[in-house]
Order: sequence, then structure tokens, then C-alpha cells
Amino acid sequence: MKMIYKVSVERCIACGKCELACAFAHGTEGKPAVSRINITRRGPELGTPVICYQCDTAACAAICPTQALVRNLETGAIDMDRARCISCRMCVAACPFGNMLWDETYHCVQKCDLCGGDPQCVPFCPTGAIAWVPADMAAIPPEVLDRETLAVG
Amino acid sequence: MPTLIIDGKKVVAAEGSTILEAARTAGVDIPTLCHHDGLEPWGGCRLCIVDLWQPGWDEDWFKLVTSCNHPAEDGMRIFTKSQRVVETRGVVLDLLLARCPDAPLIQDLAAEYGIEETTYAPREEPDDCILCALCTRVCDHLDIAAISTVNRGAGKEVAPPFHEAPPDCIGCLACAEVCPTGCIPYETSNVRRSIWGKDFEMLRDPATGQAVITKAQAEFFAGRGGVPGEYFETSDTSKRREMAKKFVSLQILEQGQS
Repeated sequence: MKMIYKVSVERCIACGKCELACAFAHGTEGKPAVSRINITRRGPELGTPVICYQCDTAACAAICPTQALVRNLETGAIDMDRARCISCRMCVAACPFGNMLWDETYHCVQKCDLCGGDPQCVPFCPTGAIAWVPADMAAIPPEVLDRETLAVG
Repeated sequence: MPTLIIDGKKVVAAEGSTILEAARTAGVDIPTLCHHDGLEPWGGCRLCIVDLWQPGWDEDWFKLVTSCNHPAEDGMRIFTKSQRVVETRGVVLDLLLARCPDAPLIQDLAAEYGIEETTYAPREEPDDCILCALCTRVCDHLDIAAISTVNRGAGKEVAPPFHEAPPDCIGCLACAEVCPTGCIPYETSNVRRSIWGKDFEMLRDPATGQAVITKAQAEFFAGRGGVPGEYFETSDTSKRREMAKKFVSLQILEQGQS
């Protein structure tokens, strides 16, 4: 079964744990600035996590002059072959959703690779705003959160 | 699929692959300087040489070949660490060290082969360019060809035509980024970028002021097709903000319906 990200915007409390988890999973410094998942904050404790959609016809892969961005048939992600990348940054400019990121710290392009099929940001989300679910379950509304349990846990 | 033996290991290589690719899939390390997976093999640095034996040759006959551009064939026997290979790589690194005595990459590689100081006369005014031509090849690969190697022999160098600001350069920085010794100087900010003596205006997002590519780069890639030019106009931050706004409005719509 194909797995996809399910984002429930109303649940995001903009805590930034997903960004930290991503930064630690893909770098050594754990800087949220170099995270591949980004929370757009629209007020205190209100945010929207935005992450690569792994588009079927992806602009990043179409523009890449060295075919460094190719679909991984196992995970469904568009993976970046760093050995092929020439750092022209065209994918960063071409992505219509802003999910290709130029990382000045590591001097490379950051791109969500679904952590090889097991996204590390998902288990860290305290409210279940991001979930990793089979594609046919994405339309089902999430379970109602028990505020008491959440506050204690 | 060709089956070959690399350092005593049996390796099944993919059809049409080179000896270097076969060795890397088998986990055998071969040092390279001018090789880049995204570009055509070139065989310029001569560091990836290996000893090759092919069926039909005398048992004691071996040939030194560059593994990056030599196709892997059935029955080949490859030796990547034979005495002859190590000695020849040593000479190559000794010469490179005479050319670029200050490049840490060359110093480290040479030290691995036991060379601390060059035995040749060092260049009088050394720079870090090892003439691997990755910069010119990446520029050619993009169909820009703004820079090339000029002159021959000891006077060979990488330069734009007539050492003037190259008219074809789009300021993509790919040449500077692929340079293994990082010897191509450039300056970049959200406003201006300069490389090879040419100044570029950046394509800035009107909302955030962010910029990752130059205007010339956007025009060039829009002309190549594949992706509509208007995709380039805003920065990744404002595109994400747009998407977040859309998500929120969709959610409000959904709650209004239920």
C-alpha cells in the first residue's frame, strides 16, 4: 500500500519538533533552519507544516540538468543523488511549492526523501498534525484528541 | 551483464557501466579528481588508473587504464592497488603537488601515497587549479560553454574568452560549486552575484527579498522549457507561505461544510 503524508492543519501547535527531528535525522548540527519540513507560523501556537509533495510530474526533476533528482520506486519519493548534483540551484527556484531548499550550512540542496520510507518527523509530532498513513485512509478525519491526556503526556 | 574480478572480488556490473562504477558497486575505493557522476567521463586526472588483464592476453601482461572511462567487460581482472598502480598514482600526485602545493585536497591525497613534499620544482606562482576541467565540462553540459581551458602545456589554464567577462555566463555558480579545490572565486548575496569578472542581478522575490538564482539564469532555464518561467519569480519562503494559506483556507471551507 502506498503511504502518504497526512497533514491536519488545525492540530499543528507550531512547536517545531518535526523541524528539529528532521534536522537531526539529516545533519549533525540539528539546526531547524536546515530542516526539510517547515512550519509556516501564523500566530502563537498556530502553524502549518509544509513538506515536499513528491509530485507526480515534478518541476524539480524536470529542470535538473544532470538528472540528479529521480523517483525512488520503493519509497515513492523523488530522491536526490548528491553525486550527480552540480549545485546550480535551479530546482530550488523551480519548485512551485517552495519545498526545495538551499542550505548554506552544508552548501547543498535539501530535499525530503521520506527518510527512506519511515519519516522521522512523524513520531515526534505531539498532536498528530502530521501522520504517515496508507493513501486510501488519508480522507478519514483524525481521531478526536483527548486534551487531558495530551496535557499530561 | 559483464562479470569481472576486482581485487579478487567477483563483481557483476550493470550493462554499459565503466570499471569505476563496477568497483564502486563492489565497495572498492578508487581515488578520482576529475570524475563527476552527473557528467561524461573524461579521464583527465589519471588518478583512477588500474591494472587491467583481459581474456586472451598473456598471463603476465597487464595494462594501465583509466577506470572512469574504460567499459567493464566480461572476464576482466582488475587490480586497483598493485605496486605499479600505487607508484603511478604517486607520480601523478607528486606532479599535482608541484602544481598546487597549497591545496589541502592534494596534500591529503599525496600524504596517503606517502608524499609529503613534491620532488619536482614547484610552480613559482601556484594557485589551486588542478586542471581537472570539471568547471568547463559542467558549463558545456549546461550548453553554455562560457569558460574553457586555454593555451597548452605549462601555460594551460581555465579562463573565459580573452580573459574578459564572459558574455555567455549566466552566473549559475555550477563551475565554482563542482571545483574540487574550490579555487574559483565568486561573491553572492540576495542582491548581486559576481563570478569571472561579470556582475549579475539576482532574481529577487518582491515579498521577501530572497534570491537563489540570477535573472540571466532564470531567462536561460525558462528558454530551455520543461518548467514555466513564472515558477522562478518568487522565493521558496513565500511559496511555502502561499501553500500554508491555501491549506488553512481549505480547512475553514471543510469545517464550514460539516
